[in-house]
Amino acid sequence: MANWSGRRRSLTALMFLFPTIVAVLIFNIYPTTLNIYISFTNRNKFRPNPDCTAGLTGVLDPLCWPSFRDNIPVGVAEPYRPITPIFKNYTDLLGTLFTPEALISLVQVLVCFVPLVVANSLNNRFSKQLMRPVPGWVVWAGGIFATVLLMLIVNFGKVFGQLLDTGDFIVVVMRTIIFVILRVPLTFVIGLVLALVLNTPDLRGRTFFRVALFVPWGASAVAILLALVWQFFFRQQGTINQILSALFNVEGPVWLNNPVSAMIAIVLADIWFSYPFFMVSILGALQSIPGELYEAADVDGANWWQQLLSITLPLIRPAVMPALVLTSITAFQMFGTAYAMTGGGPQLAADKPGATELVMVYAYRQIYQVSNYGRATAFAVMIFIMLFLATLYSLRITKVTQGAR
Amino acid sequence: MSKKLMMLISLVLIATFVLAACNTKTPEPAAKEVTIKIWHQWDGKYLDAITAAFNDYTAAHPNVKIDLSKPEDVANALNVAIPAGEGPDIIGWANDKIGEQALKGNIVNLDDKGITMDFLKATYEPAAINGVMWQGKIWALPETQEGIALIYNKDVVSDKYLPSDPLNFDDLYAKAEAFQKDTGKVLVCNQAFGGSDAYHMSPIFFGFGLPNYIDETGKPNLNAPEAIKAAEWFAKFKNVSLAENSYDICKAALKEGKVGMWWTGPWAVAGVEEDGVNYGIIPMGRPFVGIKTLMLTKNAVDRGNTDVALDVMKYFTSAEVQKKLSLVNKTIPAATAALKDPEVQKLPAVVGFGAALNLGVPMSPSPYSSAQWDPVGKASQAIWQGAASPADAMAAAQKAAEDAVAQMK
Repeated sequence: MANWSGRRRSLTALMFLFPTIVAVLIFNIYPTTLNIYISFTNRNKFRPNPDCTAGLTGVLDPLCWPSFRDNIPVGVAEPYRPITPIFKNYTDLLGTLFTPEALISLVQVLVCFVPLVVANSLNNRFSKQLMRPVPGWVVWAGGIFATVLLMLIVNFGKVFGQLLDTGDFIVVVMRTIIFVILRVPLTFVIGLVLALVLNTPDLRGRTFFRVALFVPWGASAVAILLALVWQFFFRQQGTINQILSALFNVEGPVWLNNPVSAMIAIVLADIWFSYPFFMVSILGALQSIPGELYEAADVDGANWWQQLLSITLPLIRPAVMPALVLTSITAFQMFGTAYAMTGGGPQLAADKPGATELVMVYAYRQIYQVSNYGRATAFAVMIFIMLFLATLYSLRITKVTQGAR
Repeated sequence: MSKKLMMLISLVLIATFVLAACNTKTPEPAAKEVTIKIWHQWDGKYLDAITAAFNDYTAAHPNVKIDLSKPEDVANALNVAIPAGEGPDIIGWANDKIGEQALKGNIVNLDDKGITMDFLKATYEPAAINGVMWQGKIWALPETQEGIALIYNKDVVSDKYLPSDPLNFDDLYAKAEAFQKDTGKVLVCNQAFGGSDAYHMSPIFFGFGLPNYIDETGKPNLNAPEAIKAAEWFAKFKNVSLAENSYDICKAALKEGKVGMWWTGPWAVAGVEEDGVNYGIIPMGRPFVGIKTLMLTKNAVDRGNTDVALDVMKYFTSAEVQKKLSLVNKTIPAATAALKDPEVQKLPAVVGFGAALNLGVPMSPSPYSSAQWDPVGKASQAIWQGAASPADAMAAAQKAAEDAVAQMK
């Protein structure tokens, strides 16, 4: 009897869960599975149609399902099939990364950053001690000095160049990481400064400024359109160069044609789109800090700067950390701004990705401009694995799943 | 009360759906009313005259309705619509899409449907016929031909700065240099300069003697000596050009007299006229010749619309209709009788672009040609920016094109 009621209970639970399970299957599991499957096939412009008898194609490709099956266009092309060797799309993307020389340069590049990691963990250990043996900035300065020294020793530029010569994947990912490293901290600083200003109680017209400064975030729904406005700023005949020529009589460069200034341009534009998110997150956190803490600090004679470092920043940390991780992940996946402003260009060579071809721009071009579905989906799978690991790590540092345990 | 009302509404709704469903199933007694769906790429002012031409057809054939639409992203829309049976009967598209669509099976070849080589030869220009043939079969009917030439502002450029021979690029460079020295202005604007655009680069590469970017068998020719010579000329020509070029920049600069010439195609003529530019057109180099065509889809055959759709295609590409369109839209007809018509021959656009088309290289319908755009575009941008020497850039383009073709084979 108890057994039967247990079964009935789980059946009832299952019935309640059924719609959600179906939705997850249709909207999450199926597209992911299809994507992973395509990454092991040779599907491209020349092999557009499925061979419903090959591998799992018959089950996974919608064209092989009964409602479409009789209507599949039969062209003069060969159908697509699982590729041989099965990891070919992946090995093509990684290129020569797994040769001894490339791996040695990868290790050399990574070794250069070891002092920074050491400095961080040393600092963490010191701050747990009652008396710090060395101030934090000294440890950091030492770490940075050691990093620069190591870079000089291994000839960082050359080693990094060798690494970039291995294949598209590493180039595109490295470039995107540089983009994230430039964008996220700058966005944070701007968001923090604006939030501190807006949190000043005697600021007049606070509501107006809050709304006005929040506009870019709302505007990011039409990011591609506004990115075109930003593109106009940086054109040869654009706003910046017109100001330069009017004020200083200087003829400005074509900003978007230079790899470095093009990257800076998209970083600036993307910062404009994303600083309000930090601003609002930090503003919310600031308002939850009790005023007594500052009063007590005032009594102790702490100045504004000391209050910021010892009260404000530590107390907004729990609110800001998830925002920081989230922004890093969305920055990694940024598409609209880069694509609208530069289209991934400027192009430096025909067999290499363009200077601002970030991961999503690369994937887009592989799908829509080259129609190489196999390689593009393999790329997507690799990016997915990277972001999945990053997300797991971020769940650990932000501890958002702790309440669920 | 409200329960009854709800029930009544539900009943009415159900009845409507049932009736609607029956309606589509029962055969029409009047019958034979056919709707031909056309997906096209015609834009703005072009479309007005074209719509009028189709209206003439439906007036003469009351049982035929023509439904014109211009979907975004046609290639992807077709991939979904054709298997679902919701696709168009006719696609109006450029001939370089033929191979890809034929491979997919979205379009059908016309040899089986009663279109013969003799009919083509009797009706259309030879270059246009080449453009619709692939693997020995006929895949479309040609509508108009397109290629790029130099549209110049007569008020800005005097005759002594006009290139004397369309294949003498040193002369063009010398004229541009002299023009810049004398007037302080730039002679030629081309959206491929500094951009990634293999199409607008084609007159230069082919003008130096390159037969094609990638041949029918998929062999790229991008590091051939002619290609490198063209690339070297291009690197030099940068010194007498605007640093940044685009369709809009060139259009505005020609209007404002900041540049003398705009290297562009027939589609730009209407806009140049609107800007009030006193223009002339001369050929330069060997441009890509694109053929605008009408293709018959698999769906038209499945729906039993083949005969009517073919009749519409023949009507629209006929000399009579194309002559009318040419006079309004300044297009260059593929139908021989329309092109030879004295009235059409008097149009400056037809004379100028016609001369360029005669020198031109037909775009290949082979799907391998889709591998040419990216490498050539990127290489020309790299040369323009000085990121690579012409020879290195072309060698890299050759490698990239070989890779792209290898992935396709």
